[in-house]
Amino acid sequence: MASAGTSSGPYETPRAVANKSDKRTLVRAIRMALGMESVAVRRNTQNFNRNRYRVAAEVVDYDALKDEARAIKERSINGLPDLLLTLEKAVRARGGQFYLASTAADACRYILGVCQAHNAKLVVKGKSITSEEIRLNHTLEGAGIEVAESDLAEFILQVADEQPSHIVAPALHYTTERIAALFKRKFSTDAKLETGEELTKFARERLREKFLHADVGITGANLIAAETGTIMLVESEGNIRMSCLLPPVHISIAGVEKVIPTREDIGPFIELLALSATGQRLSSYTSIISPPLDDPLFALSGRPRPAKREREFHLVLIDNGRMKMRQDPVLHETLYCIRCSACMNSCANFQTVGGHAFGGETYSGGIGGAWEAGTGTLENARFSDLCTGCSRCVNNCPVRIDIPWLNEVLRDRLNRASAGSPLASLLGLASMVRGDDRRASAQKIFFANYHWYAEWGARTAGFTNRMARSPLARRVMQALVGLDSRRALPPFPLRTLVRAAREAPAPARARVFPGPAAKAVLFADVYTNYGPAERGLATLKVLRALGADVVVSDSVPEGRAALSQGMIATARKHARRAAKLLTPYLDEGRDVIVVEPSALAMFRRDNNHVLVGNERFDLLRTRSFEAVEYVVRLLARSERTARDFFDVSRSPVGRRLFYHSHCQQKTLGCAGPTEALLREIGFDVATSSVECCGMAGSFGYKKEYYDLSMAVGADLFSQVQAAEQPAAAGGARALVASGTSCTEQLQAGLGRPVLHPIELLAAILIV
Amino acid sequence: MAAPAQPSLIDLFVTRATEAAAKVERIPRTPADVRAAIARATEGARTLVIASGDFIPADVFLAARSLPGVIPKPTDDQLATADAGVTEAFAGVARTGSICIAMGPPLRAAASLLMPLHVALLPAERIVFRPRELFEPKGIGQEALRRNLAFVTGPSATADMGPLVRGVHGPHRLHILVLE
Repeated sequence: MASAGTSSGPYETPRAVANKSDKRTLVRAIRMALGMESVAVRRNTQNFNRNRYRVAAEVVDYDALKDEARAIKERSINGLPDLLLTLEKAVRARGGQFYLASTAADACRYILGVCQAHNAKLVVKGKSITSEEIRLNHTLEGAGIEVAESDLAEFILQVADEQPSHIVAPALHYTTERIAALFKRKFSTDAKLETGEELTKFARERLREKFLHADVGITGANLIAAETGTIMLVESEGNIRMSCLLPPVHISIAGVEKVIPTREDIGPFIELLALSATGQRLSSYTSIISPPLDDPLFALSGRPRPAKREREFHLVLIDNGRMKMRQDPVLHETLYCIRCSACMNSCANFQTVGGHAFGGETYSGGIGGAWEAGTGTLENARFSDLCTGCSRCVNNCPVRIDIPWLNEVLRDRLNRASAGSPLASLLGLASMVRGDDRRASAQKIFFANYHWYAEWGARTAGFTNRMARSPLARRVMQALVGLDSRRALPPFPLRTLVRAAREAPAPARARVFPGPAAKAVLFADVYTNYGPAERGLATLKVLRALGADVVVSDSVPEGRAALSQGMIATARKHARRAAKLLTPYLDEGRDVIVVEPSALAMFRRDNNHVLVGNERFDLLRTRSFEAVEYVVRLLARSERTARDFFDVSRSPVGRRLFYHSHCQQKTLGCAGPTEALLREIGFDVATSSVECCGMAGSFGYKKEYYDLSMAVGADLFSQVQAAEQPAAAGGARALVASGTSCTEQLQAGLGRPVLHPIELLAAILIV
Repeated sequence: MAAPAQPSLIDLFVTRATEAAAKVERIPRTPADVRAAIARATEGARTLVIASGDFIPADVFLAARSLPGVIPKPTDDQLATADAGVTEAFAGVARTGSICIAMGPPLRAAASLLMPLHVALLPAERIVFRPRELFEPKGIGQEALRRNLAFVTGPSATADMGPLVRGVHGPHRLHILVLE
C-alpha cells in the first residue's frame, strides 16, 4: 500500500503539524497520519459510519427529521440576537449567571475569574471542543489551577499533549497498544495496563478522586433552549453528569450557534444527534437540564459542607468570530452544524488519515475548514484541500449542510488570497481562467481546464498517448503542474465520442414502446468524449435498442473540474456554457443523458450554487439522468422485463461481477438502480462498501496526495479481493465501475481491465 | 408516526434496552414482588441506597427499604461508596431502549449515577415510543418538559481505550424492572 506502510519514522508529533496554514505542513501531516494513526482512525470512523447507516435505516422519518432540524437551525441563526436576549433573561431568572464572550481571550478571562472567586484549586472538565478552540486549559493552568479532563479521550490527549483528531471521539487515532505505551511512559504505576478494561479502570480511579474533590465543573453544551435556559448534554461515560452534579460550581461553555428557541425544539435533535455521531440509537447519557440543578449539594470525602447547599451556574457563550460568520453569505451555514461528525465518518479521506491531517488546531474533517476559517483565519482552513468534493457527507448531514460547497468556497477564497503563481503566468495557464481565479496555483489551473488539454491531446492522440508514457515528459509534467508521474494517464481516443457518433449512421430505432418514443440527448462530457469514448457509443446503442431517439451534443466542460479546484467564476462560466448548449435540446423535449457521474452531479447539485436564479438550471436538474439510471427508467415504461432485452449468457466477462459505484452517483441516488438492474438480468453482483475509491476526479493525480489516494484505494482493492474468495465459490469477478477516475484507480490498484455497466449492457443486448 | 400498541411497546422496549446492555425484567407491581426483584438484582451488593419515587406508590418502596444493606439516610460519603442505587424511572423510550431519570428529589441523581449498579423501576404505562415524545406538550411530555432529565441508555461506556468497555464514571451495570 503506497509508501504509507514502508516509510520509516520517526514521525512528527501531531502538535507540530497542527497549523497547516502552509501546504507543506499539510503534506507532512498526511505522512505522519498514514504512518502512525491510520489503523485506529480507519477502524473507528468506519465503525461509526456503518452503525449510522444501520440505525438511520430504522428511523422511518429520518429525512423529515433532517428537514425539521434544518428549519429550526435556520430560524435560530436568523434570529440569534433576540434569542440571546431571551436566553440571558431565562438563565438569570433561574438564578444562573450569563456571559457573552466576544473573543476566546474574553471567555478565558471570565472563566478564570469565576474559578478564582471560589479560590478553586481543581477543575473537572467534560469534553468540550469549544474549550479547545479557546485554549481554556492553557489559561487555567497558567494561573495555577489544576484541570482534570474527565472524558477518557480528552484525558488521553491531555496526557499526550495533542489536539483532538475528531470532534466526537477526540482520541480515536489511538490504538489500545499506543495508549498503554503512553500511560506507562507518563505515569509511574505498577498497575497492569494492557487491555481496554485495565486502561479504563486506571483512568476511572484517578478521575473519581478528582470528581470528589473538584471545586468547579466545566462542561460544554450540545444545544441550549433560549426560552427556558435548558441545556442538552450528550455523553457516554457519565463524567458530564458528574461535572454538573458534584462540584458546587458548574460552568457550561458553548458557541453562540448552539442556541435554539425552545425546549420543544430539542425533539428532532435528540432523535438525530447520537445516531449521526456514533450510530447509536441514543448515547448512554443525554441530560436535559435547566441549571442550576436543584438537587442538594454533597460534601464528599472530607470536603467542608458548603454553607449554602445550592449550586452556582454560569453559562458562557462564545462569539469568537461566529457573529461575523452569521453575516457571511456562504459560511453562515456552518453555524447550523451540531458537531455530530457524520461528515468526517462518511469521508474516505478522513477515514484514512483522521483529523490530525484532515484538520487544523481544533476542528477537523469536512466541516472543520469552515469552523477554522470562521473562528480563526482563512489560512487555517488550508487542510480542507483534502475535501475532494465527493459529496458522500451531503446526505449524512443531519442539518443538510452542503459541506463540499463550503470547501469549494474556502478554496476559492484561498486562491484569491494568494499572490498568484509566476509559473502559471509563464505557462499561459492564467489566461484561461476568469478574473481572480488567475491567482490559483499552476496545478489548480491545469486541473480546472482539463478540457482544453484533452481537446488538443485528442487531436494528436497517437502522439500524445506516446508522450504520456514517456518518463521524461511525465517528470516535466510533475514538475510543472504537480501531476504525479506514478499515475498512468487515461489514453486519448483516436476518435472522440462526438466524432465517432456523428460518423456512424444512426440505426433505425427499435419500436418497443406503446406510446411516443423517449427523446434524449447524450451530453458528451469531457471525460467520456476525450477518454473512454466507447462508453458513450455503448450508451447510444443501448438507448436506441430500447426505442429512444438519441442524439449527441457537442463536448463542453460543465464546470465540475473548475469548481473542484475552487475556481468558482470559471466554473460558472463553464456551467452557463453547458446549460446554453443543452437548452435547445431540452426545449425539443429531450432528456439529458450523462455517462460521467461527476458531470451529472454538476447538473443536479452543484449548479444550485453556481447558476443561482438561472431558470435553465431547474430544467437541467430535473431532466438529466445517468446512463444506466435512464435505461432503468425506459424499462419501467415498457411492458417488458430487463431479461427481454439483455441476456446474461452473452456476457463477455461471465456472470460474476464486482461493481463499484461512483461517490457522486451514490449521493444522487443512482447507484442502487444500477446494482438492481444487473442483478435482475442475472448477474452475481458483489459491491463495495467504500464511500469513494480515493481517486476522486483529479485528487489522486496530484503529486502531494498520491500516497493518500492509494491508501484510500486499499480498502476498495481489499474488498474486491475478499469478494473473490474462496476460489471454490467461483473465484474471480469482472470489475465494473461507473466513474472514469474510479476506473483508473481500480486499474492502478488491481492491474485489471474495468468495464462500465453500460458497456456490459451493450454487449449482452438481445437484438 | 403512530406509536405501536402498548404491549408491543413494552416488548420493543425490552428488546432495545437489552441490546443496549441493560438487564431487563418484567415483574408485577406488588410490594412483595418488587422487593424480591430488587433483592435479586442487588445480590452481592453490600450497601444500597434507595431514592424515593414520584409515581410509584410509597408502599412499594417501603417494602424494599427493609432489605439487608439498605442505608436509610446515607451520608454524603456513604453515597460515594455504596454498591448499588435504586431509583424510579420517569419514563421509558421503546425505540432506543432508554429510561429517563427525573432529577430533583434528594438522592435520585446520585443513586442513578455514582454506584457501580443502578436498579431502575419503570412503570410499564410510562413507556413512550420515541425520545421526542418527551419534548411535546401532551401526555407524559407535559410533565417531562418541566423536569431536569437524564436519558439513560445502558450502562456507562467508552470506546476511547480501543474496545468497547462498559462501566466508566457512571454505573457498570443497569438493571431495569418494568412494573406491569
